[in-house]
Amino acid sequence: MMDKQCDLLLDYFNGHLTNQQKAAFESHLKDCPSCQEELKELEELTMDLPYASEPIAVPDGMKQRILSNVKDDSQIENKATFDQTDSEPGPKPPIKPKRTWFKPFMVAALTLSLVGNGAALYYINEQKDDADTGESFSVDSMKEAYTLQASEDIEAAATAMMIEQNRETNLIIQANNLPELKGDEKYQVWVLEEGKPFRAGTFVTNQDGKGGVSYTLHDMKERNYDTIAITKEPNANSQQPQGDILLSSPL
Amino acid sequence: MREQDIELFHRVQNKDEVALELLYDRYEKLLFSFSFRMTNNKFLAEEAVQDVFTKLWSKSLPYSEEKGKFSSWLLTITRNACLDLLRKKKSNDYELKERDALQEDNDPSPEETAEWKEQHEEIQHAIKELKTEQQEIINLFYFRGFTQSQIAKKCNLPLGTVKGRVRLSLQHLNKILTKKKERGIRE
Ligand SMILES: [Zn+2]
Repeated sequence: MMDKQCDLLLDYFNGHLTNQQKAAFESHLKDCPSCQEELKELEELTMDLPYASEPIAVPDGMKQRILSNVKDDSQIENKATFDQTDSEPGPKPPIKPKRTWFKPFMVAALTLSLVGNGAALYYINEQKDDADTGESFSVDSMKEAYTLQASEDIEAAATAMMIEQNRETNLIIQANNLPELKGDEKYQVWVLEEGKPFRAGTFVTNQDGKGGVSYTLHDMKERNYDTIAITKEPNANSQQPQGDILLSSPL
Repeated sequence: MREQDIELFHRVQNKDEVALELLYDRYEKLLFSFSFRMTNNKFLAEEAVQDVFTKLWSKSLPYSEEKGKFSSWLLTITRNACLDLLRKKKSNDYELKERDALQEDNDPSPEETAEWKEQHEEIQHAIKELKTEQQEIINLFYFRGFTQSQIAKKCNLPLGTVKGRVRLSLQHLNKILTKKKERGIRE
């Protein structure tokens, strides 16, 4: 007899079930030889598929980033860039709406997370407890921090940081309260030199309207950027801003 | 002498930094390449690899040799990390078109390769022998991690037939692979 539960096998395998559905399926699995067998078969038949991946070069510096992040990662519970509906149970730090959650000395841990081909993405962790300060940055040195001003009718807030690392400047943007994106829309960061915009990172927001990106400004030394701005673009490919400036700050 | 994966794994679980690095070096490229295949995004791929090693380092994980090869187990964790990230990013249908930007990899590190390369070619060839529909369904199910109903929609199949199609495609692939291996032995 096919149980309705048996139909959930693929979604179970791919981790799409809610915690509740998952628990129900697992209890079904104990008593359903055909699901047990099919699951085992799926595992066996897919075992070699990862090797179908094309070998590609790992991004520069990945090893160092990952190893250092891994070692001091135990305190990380919350990544501002992604949504908070983690499937793993556990207490979540309370998120205060509209808090000015970035101040250098209040950042619990700033974790250099993802870098490749010149662009970097950092996560700034929500601080669990305001008293719990004093954690250090895991990146080299912070140069400047800016608070972007929202344009009229815009509720959003954003901060920008410049961090010097390996003699390059990483621009890190974290934004809050941004309106939801539709379809292919993306938020685009620009740095401007005398009114001329240059792309400086693309990001999407989570359900809470939070998002962020880090971008390596290779030519910071030669250029004279005077403004940073965020716009909403129809997709990730805008070479010139098409949307209005939502947030900006002089540099 | 090359230390066994399992030994390194236990040492990593006991917070042995040397073992962490050894294990990292051994799997960095395979996990990254696989994660990239899953996410089609370098940032997510790096984050997935980081998630895997963070788990190995800071969680007590239930691997034992009865579960099969360590590498297979590690790849399963990696796949799940990718799927989690894709779900969080909600970017199952949002691909950064990055493939063009990738460097060709002409510099394979020494250890990874012989075994991986051989398997890679074998599987690539086998996949190419499948009918396009079967290739697509394996891609959507395994690499893209689609839900059953997403697969049904994308492939224009009744929901109830998706599971059967996935199984059939995988079984077929496996048959081709087995045949290739047998031929390989005879040659
Ligand atoms: Zn069943």
